[in-house]
Amino acid sequence: MSNFFQHVVIGLSSGGIYASLALALVLVYRATRVINFAQGEMAMFCTFIAWSLLDRGLPYWGAFFATLAIAFAGGVALERVVIRPLEGGPTLTIVMVTIGLLIGLNGAAFWIWGGEPKSFPSAFSTRTVHVGGVVFSVQDAGTIAVTLGAVVLLWLFFRYTKLGLAMRASAVNPEESRLVGVRVGWMLAFGWGLAAVLGAVSGMLAAPSLFLDPNLMRPVIIYAFAAAVLGGLDSPVGAVVGGLLLGVGLELLTTYVDALAGLQLPVALAIIVAVLLVRPAGLLGRPAVSRV
Amino acid sequence: MIGFALRALLFVGALALAAFLPTWLSTFRTYEFAYVGIYFIAILGLNILTGYTGQISLGQGAFMALGGYTTAILMADHGVKDVWTLPLAGLAAGVAGYLFGIPALRLRGPYLALATFAIAVSLPTLLLYDKLDRLTHGEEGINLFGIPESTASITPLRVLGHDLPFEKWIYYLTWTIAAALFLAAWLLLRGRTGRSFRAVRDSEVAAAVSGVHPAAYKTLAFGISAFYAGVAGGLYAMATTFVNPGTFPVALSLTLLVGAVASGLGSLWGLLAGAFLVEYLPTLAGKVSSQPGVASVVYGGILIALVVLLPDGAAGGLRRLARPLTSGRVFRS
Amino acid sequence: MKRVFLVGMLPLAAVAVTAALAAGGAAAPSSDPGVSNSQVLIGGTAPLTGEAAAAGLTASGANAYFQWVNAHGGVKGRKIRYKVVDDGYDPAKTVQGTRQLVVQDHVFALFNSVGTSQNIAIRPYLNQVKVPQLFVASGWSGWGRDYRKYPFTMGFIPTYSAEGKIYARHILATRKNAKIAVLYQNDEYGREVLSGLRAGLGKRSRQIVAARGYDPSEPSVQSEVASLRSSNANTLMIFAFGTRAIQAFVTVKKLGWKPQIYVNAVSAATTTMRIASSTGQTEGAISIGFFKDPADPRWAKDKGYRLYRSIMKRFLPGKTVSNGYYMAGMAAACAMTQALRSAGRNLTRGGLMRAVTRLNFKDPFTLPGIRVKTTPTDRFPIQQAQLERWHKGRWHPFGRLLAAR
Repeated sequence: MSNFFQHVVIGLSSGGIYASLALALVLVYRATRVINFAQGEMAMFCTFIAWSLLDRGLPYWGAFFATLAIAFAGGVALERVVIRPLEGGPTLTIVMVTIGLLIGLNGAAFWIWGGEPKSFPSAFSTRTVHVGGVVFSVQDAGTIAVTLGAVVLLWLFFRYTKLGLAMRASAVNPEESRLVGVRVGWMLAFGWGLAAVLGAVSGMLAAPSLFLDPNLMRPVIIYAFAAAVLGGLDSPVGAVVGGLLLGVGLELLTTYVDALAGLQLPVALAIIVAVLLVRPAGLLGRPAVSRV
Repeated sequence: MIGFALRALLFVGALALAAFLPTWLSTFRTYEFAYVGIYFIAILGLNILTGYTGQISLGQGAFMALGGYTTAILMADHGVKDVWTLPLAGLAAGVAGYLFGIPALRLRGPYLALATFAIAVSLPTLLLYDKLDRLTHGEEGINLFGIPESTASITPLRVLGHDLPFEKWIYYLTWTIAAALFLAAWLLLRGRTGRSFRAVRDSEVAAAVSGVHPAAYKTLAFGISAFYAGVAGGLYAMATTFVNPGTFPVALSLTLLVGAVASGLGSLWGLLAGAFLVEYLPTLAGKVSSQPGVASVVYGGILIALVVLLPDGAAGGLRRLARPLTSGRVFRS
Repeated sequence: MKRVFLVGMLPLAAVAVTAALAAGGAAAPSSDPGVSNSQVLIGGTAPLTGEAAAAGLTASGANAYFQWVNAHGGVKGRKIRYKVVDDGYDPAKTVQGTRQLVVQDHVFALFNSVGTSQNIAIRPYLNQVKVPQLFVASGWSGWGRDYRKYPFTMGFIPTYSAEGKIYARHILATRKNAKIAVLYQNDEYGREVLSGLRAGLGKRSRQIVAARGYDPSEPSVQSEVASLRSSNANTLMIFAFGTRAIQAFVTVKKLGWKPQIYVNAVSAATTTMRIASSTGQTEGAISIGFFKDPADPRWAKDKGYRLYRSIMKRFLPGKTVSNGYYMAGMAAACAMTQALRSAGRNLTRGGLMRAVTRLNFKDPFTLPGIRVKTTPTDRFPIQQAQLERWHKGRWHPFGRLLAAR
C-alpha cells in the first residue's frame, strides 16, 4: 500500500512542475488571449540566466530575484517589440511568433551554454522525509507550496488591486477599457512580464530535480498546456488543479495499467480531449459567452 | 471577368514553367522542388481548414503520417504500386480527419489547438507502440528504396523514348497532383462550399441563422484538409523512400502551420511562397553559421521578422504589390 | 592529302596532350567523384539543430581533427574536406541531405552520419550507388552484421547489444543470483542494450525481475525508478541518456535504495557522473569505456589526450574540452584518415573499401590496448571494452579488456 502512496507522491511532484508552468500559460492567455508556445523555452532561458549568475558567485536569493527582474523586463520588452505590431490581427500570426521564439530561444541556449546537463541548486533543502514507507521530498512539497502561493497572490492581485482590474479589463474588452483611460498596450505588456516571471519561477523550481539543459522544459510544456486546458485556460486555480490531477492521474495509470506503460503522453492527451468533450471550457473554466 | 482571365493565364503560365523547369535545374534541385510540391499540397489542405474555415489545426503533420504510412505499408507489405496507394493514403487520412472533426465540433480556439496538437504529439509515440510493430515496423521503419512497387527508383522510367530518373519522376508526379488538387480546391472554394466555409469562419451563429450548418462544414473541412495531408504524406513517403515515426515529428506540424500562415491564410495565392519557405528556410538558416545553436536562432528570427513585416503572409504582400495593377480594385480571395 | 594528314593527326595530338596533362600532375587523377589533386571531399549528416543537437558535436570534433591533419600536410598530399549537413535527427531530412551530398556535392564517401534509423534510411541508397557509408555513429549491430547485403556500410563503436552482454557476463561472474531491474530508454538504443543483456544472461534471463521503458517525451524518470524499486531487485541497470540518467541516480538515493548499479557508456561520462554524484547514488556504479574520457584526470599526461586537447585549443577554441562527444568524433576521424592513407594516392571508392576492411592500428583516442581492427569478414572496428567502477568521484578500470561482440 505504501507503494501506491509513493506513486501518488511522485505524481504530485511531477504535477507541481506542470502546474507551475501551466500558471504562466494561463496568465498569458488570460491577459492577452494568446497561447504562448514559447513559455517553456522562456522559462528555461531564464533558468540558465540564473545559473550564470550563480556561477559568477551570486548567492542563491540574489540570483533568484535578479532573474525574476530580468524575466519581467524581458517579457515586457518581448510584448512591446514583437507582439505589439500584431495586436488586432489574427491570433495565428502571434502563434507563429511564439513558435519562432520557441525555436530561437532553444538554439540560443544551446549556443550560449552548451548541451551538457548542469545541476541547479534548490531553494529548499534536498532532504527527504520518510513517513510510513513513503518518501517525500521537501523540494517537491516546496514546489507545490510556491505554486499555490502564486495562485493566491495572483487572485488577490486580480481581485483587489487597481492594476489587476485594469489588466482584466484590457483582456476582456480593450476598446472600452481605453475609453475609461486604461493604457491597454501596457497592460498587455505587463501580462507578458508577469507570465515570464511565473515561468522563470517554474524553471527554477523544476531544474533542481530535472537537471538543467536546453531541453529542460520541452517535455514539460506539453503537459503544462494539457494541464492548463484541463483546468480551464482562464482559470489560474484550474491550472494548478489540472496540473496536480494530471500528474497523479498519469502516474497511477501508467504504473498500474501495464498496457499503457510508455504511452504516458498519448494517454495524457486522450484524457484531456475526453474531458474537453464533456466540459469544453475545462474543469474550472467559464464557458465563453459571446455576443452575436 | 478580367480578374478571371488574368488568373487563368497566370495558372497556365505557372504550369508551363513547372513543366520545363527540370530541364534547367540540376537533378538534386528537381528533387528538392518535388518536396516543395509536397508541402504545397499539405499547406493547401491546411489553409482550407484554418484559413477558410477558421479551425486552427496543429496536427497536419499527423495526417501526413497517416497517409505516408498507408502508402509505405501498402507498397512494402501488400505489393501495391506506388501511384495507386495515393488515393488510398488520402482516403485513410481523410476519413480519420473527418472522424476527428466530429468530437472536435465542441472545441473552440485554443482548445481545438490543443486537441490537434495532441494528435501530432501522440502519433509518433503510438507508431512506436510495440504491440503495433507488425503493422508499422516500429523504429526500424519501412524501406521503400528500390522495391519493385516503385515506378522509378533505381532504374529510370522510360517515357516517350526518354529516361526519367527518380528525381524527375517524383517531381512531375507531385506537381501534377498539386495542380489538380489546386484546381479542385479553387473550384470548391469559389462555390457554395467555400462560401459556407467562410461563413463558418466569420461567425458560426450568423452562419447557422443563414441556413449553413457549422457542424457539417467543419467536419467536411477537417476531412478535406486531412485528405490533402494524406496525399502529401504518401508522396513524402515515396520521395523519401523511407518512413518511420521519426520522419513525421511534431516539428513538421508546426512547420506546416508556419508555412500556411506565411503564405497568407484565406487565400490561395501565397501558397507557393509558403511551400518554398518550409523547404528552404532551415537550409538557409544553416548557411549563416555552422556554430551549434545559431542556425535555430536565425530560423526563429526570420520567422518572427516575416510575421512582423508581412502579417498577412505572402498573399497579403502580393495584394499590396498588385494594387496599382488593379487600379483600386481589391482582389477577392 | 596534307589536310587529311593534319585532320588525322588531330586525335593523336589530343591523346598526346591529354597524356601530357595527366602525367604533369602528381599522379593519374582518380575518376571517382570528390577527389581532386589537392583535396578529398567527404560528407555526413548530423543533428546540428533540434533536441539531439548535443550528439551533433561529434561532427565538430571530427572536423577539428581533419583540420589538424590538413595543417600537417593532409593525406598523401590531399586535404580532407568534411561537409556536414544538418538533419535535425529527422530521417527524412537525412535522406534529402545524403542525396544532396552524393548527387550535388559529389562527395567521395559518407562519414560518421549520426543516428540509427537515420542511417538505416540511407543504407540501401548508398549501397546501390556504391558510395561508402563509413564509421556510422551508432552502435546498432546491423552495420557490421549485414555486410554481405550492404558491403559499403560499416559502423565504428562497439554494438549496444555487446555492451548488454558484457554487463550480463559480469553479473553472472560476480553475483550469480542477482535480481535485476532495468530502466531503459524505449527506443532502438535502449531496447538493443536490453536484449543484449537478456542474451548474455541466457537461461538466467528470468532474473530480470522488472524492466521499465521510458519515452524522452516524459520530463522525469522518477516514476519508472519507483516502480523498479518495488520489485526489490538488488541490481539496477540504467540504460538512459543525459538528464534522465542523472535523475535515475538521484531517485535511487531518494528512495533509500542501494542496488548495484550498471550504467550505459554514453551516460557514464565523468561530467555527467559528477553531477549525479552530488545528490545521487553513484558510488560503486559500473560501466564500460572504450574512448578516453576527456574529463577524467588520469589522462592528463597521456599523449592521445594531449593531442586531443591541443586540437581543441587550436581549432575549437572556447568549446568545452571535457565534452566526450568531441573525443568520439576525433576517434572516428582518426580511423577515416587512416583508411584514406592506406587507400593510397590513387584514391578510388573501391580502394577505400579495401583499406577500410583491412584496418589494424592504435587509435590515440581509444583506451590503452584497444585497437581498431577490421577484416573483410569482420566489420566491427572496435570490439573491445574496459569495465570500470565509479569510486570517489572517478572511474577506475578493473579487469582485463573484454571482447565486445
